Amino acid sequence: MLTLAILAPLAGALGLALWRETGETAARTAAAAVAALPLALLALVWLGFDTAPGAPTFQAVEELPWIPSLDVAWRLGVDGVSLPIAAMSALLFLGAILWPVETDGRARQYFAWLLFLEGVSLGLFLVLDLLLFYVFFDLSLVGMYFLIGRWGHGAAQQAALKFFVYTLAGSLAILLGILGLVLAGAGPLSFDMRVLIERQPLEGAGIAAPLVLLAFVVGFAVKTPLVPVHTWLPPAHVDAPGPASAILAGVLLKMGGYGLIRIPLSMMQETFARYALAIGVLALVSILWGALVALAQTNLKRRIAYTSVNHMGYTVLGIATAGALTAGAGQEAARQLALTGAVVEMVAHGLITGALFLIAGGFWTRTQDYDLDGYGGLAGRAPKLAAATMLAAFASFGLPALAGFVAEFQIFAGTFAVFPWLAAIGVVGLLVTAALFLRMIQKLFFGPLPETHRDFADLGRRESLVMVGLLFFVVLIGVWPTWLLAVIDHGAAVIVAGR
Amino acid sequence: MLWLLALLPAAGGAALWASGVRARRPLGLAAALVLAATAALAGLAAAGGWTGAVAWSGTLQLTAALPPMAAAVALTVPVVALAIAVHAAAHEAADGLARLVGLLLVFVGGMQLVVIAGDLLTLLIGWEIIGACSWALIGHHWREEAAPAAGRYAFVATRLGDLGMFVAAMAAYAGAGAFSYAALSGLPSPYLEVCAFGLVLSAAAKSGQVPFSPWLFRAMAGPTSVSALLHAAALVAAGAYILARLEPTLAAAGAAPAVLAIGLLTALAGGVVGLLQMHGKKLLAASTSAHYGLMFVAVGAGYPGVAILHLIAHAGFKATLFLAVGIAGERAGSFDLDRMGYGRALPLVAAASALGALALAGVPPLGGAWTKEKVVAAAGHAAPWLAVATILAGGLSAAYAAKLQFLAFGRHGPAAADRPAAGERAGLALLAALTLALSLLWLPPVNRWAAAALGAELPPGKAWELVASLAIIALGVFAGWAFARRGASAPGAADWLGLPALIDRTAGAGVPALARAAARLDDRLFDALPRLAGRAGQRIAAGLAEADGRAVDAGVRGTARLSERLARAGDRFGEAASDGLVTVPAALAGQAGRAARRLQTGMSHHYYALGAAGLAAMILVLVLGGL
Repeated sequence: MLTLAILAPLAGALGLALWRETGETAARTAAAAVAALPLALLALVWLGFDTAPGAPTFQAVEELPWIPSLDVAWRLGVDGVSLPIAAMSALLFLGAILWPVETDGRARQYFAWLLFLEGVSLGLFLVLDLLLFYVFFDLSLVGMYFLIGRWGHGAAQQAALKFFVYTLAGSLAILLGILGLVLAGAGPLSFDMRVLIERQPLEGAGIAAPLVLLAFVVGFAVKTPLVPVHTWLPPAHVDAPGPASAILAGVLLKMGGYGLIRIPLSMMQETFARYALAIGVLALVSILWGALVALAQTNLKRRIAYTSVNHMGYTVLGIATAGALTAGAGQEAARQLALTGAVVEMVAHGLITGALFLIAGGFWTRTQDYDLDGYGGLAGRAPKLAAATMLAAFASFGLPALAGFVAEFQIFAGTFAVFPWLAAIGVVGLLVTAALFLRMIQKLFFGPLPETHRDFADLGRRESLVMVGLLFFVVLIGVWPTWLLAVIDHGAAVIVAGR
Repeated sequence: MLWLLALLPAAGGAALWASGVRARRPLGLAAALVLAATAALAGLAAAGGWTGAVAWSGTLQLTAALPPMAAAVALTVPVVALAIAVHAAAHEAADGLARLVGLLLVFVGGMQLVVIAGDLLTLLIGWEIIGACSWALIGHHWREEAAPAAGRYAFVATRLGDLGMFVAAMAAYAGAGAFSYAALSGLPSPYLEVCAFGLVLSAAAKSGQVPFSPWLFRAMAGPTSVSALLHAAALVAAGAYILARLEPTLAAAGAAPAVLAIGLLTALAGGVVGLLQMHGKKLLAASTSAHYGLMFVAVGAGYPGVAILHLIAHAGFKATLFLAVGIAGERAGSFDLDRMGYGRALPLVAAASALGALALAGVPPLGGAWTKEKVVAAAGHAAPWLAVATILAGGLSAAYAAKLQFLAFGRHGPAAADRPAAGERAGLALLAALTLALSLLWLPPVNRWAAAALGAELPPGKAWELVASLAIIALGVFAGWAFARRGASAPGAADWLGLPALIDRTAGAGVPALARAAARLDDRLFDALPRLAGRAGQRIAAGLAEADGRAVDAGVRGTARLSERLARAGDRFGEAASDGLVTVPAALAGQAGRAARRLQTGMSHHYYALGAAGLAAMILVLVLGGL
C-alpha cells in the first residue's frame, strides 16, 4: 500500500510529462486525482494503525530485497512519527495542486513536477532504509529547484540555485553521517533503519560519534532550518510560486525535523543525549531570532518565512528535550511529552504555514505585491480571505483551540521539566509571534481600503475548498486532538524509552 | 456536562454572528435567551454538582468543576452579560451588530471556561480565548485606524501576562506531572513558587494592575458595551477570580504579600488617575483597575471569599455606570465629561447612574459599600496600616465617583436629548436593580448566608475602620464635587501617571528597533557565510576547470554538460555552485570509496543495479526538467 502511495505520484508525474496534448484544466484534474490516491491510502493505513501499548513500532511494513550484500532494500513502513507527517504532506500536496496559480503556459510540466515532488517526499517519510532515505532527500531538492526556478518570480533563478546549493551542502553532510553510521559498529553491514536503531552503532565509539552527530545536525539544521544556516529560506520563499512555498514550508522543512528524530535521536541516543543541551540552545536561538527578525519584515512572504524559523525552532527544542537522557524517573514522561509536541508541531506547522503561504500566493496572483504597507481594509472586500488568514495566523501564534497550541504547550511543558531555562526563555517567542501576526492582520485587513484595491477579489470556490480542507484539521487538532496524539504517543514512547 | 456552560454561549454567539441578523430586537432577544439559558444551566450545575472531563491524551486531561466560588461567578457572568447584550443590541452602531453581539456571547463562553476550569491547561485555553475575543471586540470598528491598534495593544499586553500562565502550567507539570489544581498543593519548591508567581503575573496583566494598567485605557477605543462586559464580568474579572480560586496555592508559595502590594498600589494609583481624568470611560477604566486592586488586597490578606463578593458587587455597579456613561457619551458625541451634564435630559439614566456611583463610592446601604468595607477589614486583619491605606483608596473611589456623577449627570447640561431605546433602558434597569438588590448584604442573616454559600470566611470588622471609612468617603464625595467644579486638570498625570508614555518609549520603541537591527544583521552577517562560500567556490572552480581540460574522460565531460545547463540557467553565483556540484561529490566519492572498502563486495551486478537506478532517476529528471 505504501509502495503505491509513493509510486502513484511518480507514475503520474511521468505520465503528465509524456502526455503532450493537454490543457491546464485537464492537467490539474489529472494531477489532483493522482494526488488524492496517496492521501486515501495513508488514511487507510491510519485506520489500520494499532496504537495498543504492545503493538509493533513500525506497521504496514513492505520489504523487497535489492542489494542483499549491502543489505539495501526497498523497505517501507510507518510509525507514530512518520504516519502523521506523511498524511499531512499528502493533504498539503493535494491542496497545493488545487490552488490556482499562473503556470506561464506550462501547466503540464508544473503539475508533473509537483507530483514528482510528492512522490519523493512521501518516499522520504515512508522508507525504512537509510540509503533510500538519502536518495529521496536529494531528489526532493531537484523537484523544488525546478518549481522555484521555472515558475517563480523576481530573482527566481538565483533563489532556486541558492536553495539548491545550500541544502545540497547540507545533504552531503548527511551522506557522510550515514556512511559513518553504517560503517561503524559490529555485525553485518545494513542500511535497515530498524537494525540500526537496535544496534546503536556508535555507542562507545569515541571521537567518531560526535563527528557523525555533528554531520547530521549540520545537515538537518540547514534543511529545518536553524539559525544561522537559514538564509536560503527567505529568498526561496519570496520568489517561489505560492503552492511551491507551501510545500517548501509544509513538507520540505519537515524533512529536517523528521530526519533528526529518525536518525540521530533514534540511532545514536547516547551521543545525542550528551549534546542535547547544545542542540536545545541552538533551537532556542532559532525561536527568538526567527520571531524577532520576522517582526521587522514588511514583506508578507518574508514575514511568514521567518516565522517558519521560529516554529521549527520549537520542534527542534522538543526533539532536543526528548533526547536528553536524565536520571529523574518522572522525566521520561516529560521527554515523551516534548517529542509528541514536536511531531504535532510539524503537522500543525505544515497545515498552518502551508495555508498561510497559499494565501500569500493568492495575494500575489491578485496584485503582484507583497508589501504589507500597500494593503489595508480588505476585511470588507474579501471576508472569506480575511477569515482564513486570521484563523491561520491565530493558529500560528499558538492560540488555544487551534492546532499550534496543542503542539507548543506540550513542547514547553515537557522541556521545562528537563531544561527549565530554555523553556522559560523560549515562551517569549509566543509573545513576539502574536504581535507580528496581529500586526500583519491589521495591515492587510483593517483600516481604510486603498484606492488601488477597490476590486480585490475574495477567495474563489477552489481556493475556499482548499482552505476549508486545511483549516478543518487545524481546528480539529486544536479542539479534539485525541486521535492524533494516540498515534504520535505510540511512536514517541518507543523512541524515548530507547531500544 | 459542565462544559455546556461554556459551549452554549459560545455556540449561540457563533450562530448569531453567522446568521447576520440585522434587526435589533430579534438580536437582543436571541442573545438574552442564550444567556438566560446559560445562567439557568449554571444554577442547575451548581445544584447538581456537575463536573466535566475530557482526555486529550494520557497527560493532557481537561477537567471542569464548580466549587461554590466558581458557581457564584458562573451565575454572575451571564446575568450581567445578559443586561449588557440587550443594551448592546439596542445601542451600538448597526454596522456589524450581529458580529458584535455574537462575539460578546463567545466572550462569555470563554469566560465561563475560565470559571469552570479544574486544571491549568483548561484554564489557559479559556484564558487565551478571552484575550482573543477582547482583541476582536476592542477592534470592532475595524475600518478606523485606532480601534484595531488598540485591540492589538490589549492582546499583546495581556498575552505578556499569559506567558506567566504558560510558565505556571509548565512548573506544575515539572513538579507534579499533572496540570490539575489538586496537584498544585503538593508541588515541591521551587516549582510551587514559580507556579504561584506565574499566576500572579498573568492575573495582574488581565486585571489591569500596575504596570499593565495602560492597556485598559487604550481598550476604551472599543464600543461601550464591550468595555462594560470586559470590565464588569469578563476579561478583567478573570485575573482577580483566578487568584481567589487558587488562593491556597498563593499562600503556600508565599506570594500573598506580593498580591497585596500590587493590589494596594493599583488601588491608590488608579484612584488618583480616576480623579484626574476628564474622559468618562477612561475614568471608569482607572476605577476598574483600582477596584480589582482592592480584590487583590483581599486575596493577599487571605480572604478570597471577600474578593469574590466584591467582584460580584463591582460587576453590577460598574456595568451600570458604563452603560449610563455610554448613553450620555453617545448623546454628547464625545466622552469628554465637560460636555455632558444630562441630569435634566435623561433623568432615568441619571438615576441609575447615581445608584452605581453611590455603590462605587462605597456609600451605605449599597452592596458595593459593604463588600468594600469587608476588604478594609481583611486588610486590617493583615496589618492596621493596610486598613488605613485601603480606606484611603476607598476615599479616592468616592471622589471620582462623585466627580463622574456631577459632571456626567449634573443638571447643568442640555434640557433635552434622545430618549433611550427600550433595550438600552432594559439593560440599565436590570443592572441597577442588581446593584440595589445587593444592598441586602448589609443584613447580617443575608451576609452570613452568602458567606456560607461561598464557603468563605468573613473577616471581623473593627468599629474604627467603619467610622474612619465613612468619614473619608464623605470627604471624598466633597473632594469629587470640588474637582467637578474645577474641570480639567493635569492631563499628563491623568494618562496613567505617564506610564503609557514610558512603556511606549521603552518597550514600544525598543522592540521594533531591536527587530529591525536583527533583520539587518540577518541579511548581512548570516547571509555572508554562503556568499563567501560561493565566491570561494567560484575561484576554486576556475582553477579546476583548467585542470579539467587536461585530465578529461568521457564521463566527466558528460556531467560537465549537465553542469553547463545548470550554469546557464544560473547567475555568477550559480556557476560556481554548479561546478561545485560536479567536483565536490566526485572528490567525496573518491574519498568515501577509499574509506569504505567494506562496501566493495565484488558482486558487480549490484553495482549495475545501483547504477541503473541512478540512471533511471537521472533520465526522469531530465525528461521533466527539459520539457
